[in-house]
Amino acid sequence: MKQLSMQKLLLGLLGLATFILVWKVITDFKLVSPIFFPSPARTWTALLKGLAGGPLLAQTLETVQRMLLGWLLASLAGIMLGALIGVSRRARAFIAPTLELLRPLPASAMIPIAIAFLGFSDQMVLVVIAFGALWPMLLATIHGFSAMEPRLYEVSAVLGLSRLQVIRKLALPSAMPMILASLRLGLTISLILAVVGEMLASREGLGQSILLASRSFRSADLFAGIVILGAIGLVGSGLLSLAEQRLLRWQAVTR
Amino acid sequence: MSMTRMNVQAGQVEMASPVSHAAEPRIRIRDVTLSYGALQIIGGISIDIAPGESLCVIGPSGCGKTTLLRMLAGLARPTSGAVELDGSALGGPDRSVAIVFQDYGKALLPWRTAAGNVSLALEARGCPARERPPIIRELLEKIGLGRHADKYPSEMSGGMQQRLQIARCLAQEPKVLLMDEPFGALDAMTRQALQDEVLSLVATTGATMVFVTHDLEEAIYLGDRIVCLQPNPGRVGRMVDVRLAHPRDQLVTREDPEFLRLRRELYDLIKDDHQ
Amino acid sequence: MRAAFRTSWRAALLPVVVIVAAQVAATVTQLESDSLASPLAIVAAFFSVLKDGSLMRASLDTLMAAFCGCVIGVGAGSLLGILLGLFRLADDALDLTIELLRPVPVVALIPVVMMLLGFGARMEIVIIALGLLWPSVVLARTAVREVEPRLMEVSAVLQLGFPARLSKIVLPAILPQLFMSLKLAAGYALVVAVTVEITANPFGLGYGIMMAQQALRPAEMFAYLIWIGVIGWLVSLVLMAAQRRFFPAFAKGETR
Repeated sequence: MKQLSMQKLLLGLLGLATFILVWKVITDFKLVSPIFFPSPARTWTALLKGLAGGPLLAQTLETVQRMLLGWLLASLAGIMLGALIGVSRRARAFIAPTLELLRPLPASAMIPIAIAFLGFSDQMVLVVIAFGALWPMLLATIHGFSAMEPRLYEVSAVLGLSRLQVIRKLALPSAMPMILASLRLGLTISLILAVVGEMLASREGLGQSILLASRSFRSADLFAGIVILGAIGLVGSGLLSLAEQRLLRWQAVTR
Repeated sequence: MSMTRMNVQAGQVEMASPVSHAAEPRIRIRDVTLSYGALQIIGGISIDIAPGESLCVIGPSGCGKTTLLRMLAGLARPTSGAVELDGSALGGPDRSVAIVFQDYGKALLPWRTAAGNVSLALEARGCPARERPPIIRELLEKIGLGRHADKYPSEMSGGMQQRLQIARCLAQEPKVLLMDEPFGALDAMTRQALQDEVLSLVATTGATMVFVTHDLEEAIYLGDRIVCLQPNPGRVGRMVDVRLAHPRDQLVTREDPEFLRLRRELYDLIKDDHQ
Repeated sequence: MRAAFRTSWRAALLPVVVIVAAQVAATVTQLESDSLASPLAIVAAFFSVLKDGSLMRASLDTLMAAFCGCVIGVGAGSLLGILLGLFRLADDALDLTIELLRPVPVVALIPVVMMLLGFGARMEIVIIALGLLWPSVVLARTAVREVEPRLMEVSAVLQLGFPARLSKIVLPAILPQLFMSLKLAAGYALVVAVTVEITANPFGLGYGIMMAQQALRPAEMFAYLIWIGVIGWLVSLVLMAAQRRFFPAFAKGETR
């Protein structure tokens, strides 16, 4: 078993090495002009330089901060609103259909509306992130609450649990798998909207950085920025996976 | 308590407190009906259940057994008539009335361990966090889950999950224990073991039990009285006293001529309903 | 019948109240704003962009780009996913690389593709296809892995060649999942298309709503916004109906 995963790791590293080699061959033989497509080595150098003394580190922190702030706002608001709507059958009947109707609306389509109200500002970007990431969490919490086993509502009635206890002890944990999945989706959306917002509103951050790099044909800086954005996504989803493993231990043993 | 029952069996009627003559019944079902729109599910049922009595409810499917039980639990409201607990009308679920559902898989919290599931009932009645662990341990021990306190329901067999549900009900410290075909989905050996445990729990806690089942032998084995419901709409067809010695024993009791006679009698009753 | 009416009036109550309240508020305050518009003004703006043809042109541009990107992205992604699902070795070799590439947000690729291809439909299609690639790979790979092992054993016993195995066993078995993948992708394609248009590409509905805002025509801006929502809603409705028609058992079993 252990040998098998070792083999998998080796194969994976081999695959990654091949990927980088192909990338190097393409740039070495100038199959794509180096103006557009930097070699792995140039990307790496740009990455190190940008992080060590250059502006990349500050820009990364700026983007991560924006993303996390928007995501947290959206998570808090989404789960709390979702719990309020989800716990009452009547509220669900009146509100859920409207929310479903709005769901397919692309979050980025709200950007011009936000610009109309807030201009090209940091607040505008934050509002767009929070608003875009709100939907999946709101809907997932409502769905999670309404999907709770009806028998458990009866159990809570017989035990005499208060409404607050029902939310905290039954509905929230029962909706937790859906909520966690939506937190993941929300984080992805937050990163995307942070980048888009920075590009559009020329706010300090990686989005603006890669856009400027591309306009001035600094392809190595552009790719360095993309590598960091990928790393942010990777770390974020890794942390959420850890949280899932802890919070959904009861599910893991089922499988 | 078992003394009293022995006396009943010996025919000393003046001592027969568990059966219908008790001065103050624990539960009084007074001319209860229940309809959904034009459809009448239950049509006028009246039963008195004495404290400490064990009443089994049998009847063909669709006779309203489960509905009757849900009304006793306060989960369904009678259309007319009333259910009284210790002399006052039952307006809704009451912590002193516990119910064991048949579908244990749905009635347990999958995200809580065995100990956590029992704890829920303690949390509900506001038991301080410090005092919970010893109570939980004792209850799990009592029901034979002492070594499985940290397991999740998904790691348990059906029999263990049903034991856990019973433990949670006991944590309510109920005066009345309602059971809705609790062992219907379990294998024969597990079922017999649980029957004996339920009998001893009822004997030690003094709880009143109402036990719905479709298994005639189970009803005779567990009951002091058996009520046969008839369908369309559900009503009392026949009330049968079970005069069998306590404590009961899976081999001896089931070979008792009285057991066999009762089984025959009930079988004929049910069969008529099915035709 | 009456129950259906009761649920529908409840569903309709909130939007109707909001719209009426907005109109009343706009009329009472004699609204003149660069960022807000009354519902009636929005309806008027909608018909004006409908009449001059700009709305339809923009819709077609966006939908065409989304459609092409969807076909290319889901096609290539599913193909790769099927191969990875069938060949364990290839999967082990590429898994790490894919896991590292997958979290790169699709909008980060906008500057790259813009640099290579400039503005226009081609650039948008490429970005949409890239955005749909990884999700399609993952869904197809999972679907292939979940094909009943017995079926694979049957194909081995029958000594089916690879093409026969693919066309007779694997593809039919995963068709419902592939369709679901397409359904998810279609919605996402529209989102990416509008995002690219708003961010960079002077083209389609996203550009339309951005221009309406820049020109300080809020009524037109909201008309575009609602229209984008309607299109997204219609696309998901059509695909849902198709799924129910062709894979009824699967549509029912799907959660939500």
